[in-house]
Amino acid sequence: MDGIRPEIRQLFAAKEARRRVLAALPFPAKVAVVVKLQEMAAPLLKTRGRSVRTWQIEEIQP
Amino acid sequence: MKRTLQVLNDLERHHVFSRYAIGGAMAATFYVEPLLTFDLDVFVALAKDGGRLTSLAPIYDALRARGYSEEKECVLIEGVPVQFLPAYNSLLQEALTEAAETQYEGVGTRVVRAEYLVAICLQTGRAKDRERVRILREQADLDLPRLAEVLARHNLEERWKQWTA
Repeated sequence: MDGIRPEIRQLFAAKEARRRVLAALPFPAKVAVVVKLQEMAAPLLKTRGRSVRTWQIEEIQP
Repeated sequence: MKRTLQVLNDLERHHVFSRYAIGGAMAATFYVEPLLTFDLDVFVALAKDGGRLTSLAPIYDALRARGYSEEKECVLIEGVPVQFLPAYNSLLQEALTEAAETQYEGVGTRVVRAEYLVAICLQTGRAKDRERVRILREQADLDLPRLAEVLARHNLEERWKQWTA
């Protein structure tokens, strides 16, 4: 990451730290995140003509 | 997903298939950050055939009898589209045999081990598999001696070198 401004490097580091936190979540909490991702992605995919089904489950909130 | 897993366990208990394990993106999610997927991939060893590639019809029949319907290549089980994949080669059979036992909100299940997920991605070889290998290398706590053994046994060392060079 040579040549990257310190504040940008800090942003990348924060993103990396966030990913590590997400990776360490319990499996049910990760599944809940996946469902949130599905809900975010589904409308975008629909505009591209791809119909997807978001999971209807009773998981705990992340 | 808890109820989905209960249904899968019930099918195994009734010998519709002899063994199952979660694979694909959801198995990867077990080890790394959550990955977007719309299907729950489930590897199965079919009950009477020693795991060879045969029809999935008995699984669909059993699920239909329980009130679950097919939707494209999946079966919708308790709100989750499940895609069944027979363990059609030696790597998948081994991945299924070696799958990790775990609990999901008090329900027992199995997840393909991270080292086998890497090997399956290498064998499948699509762009998204390559990306998954990158994430697994970065975030999963891979057992490298075990991974080396699996790659050697299934002739995947060369691709591993290419993808990780």
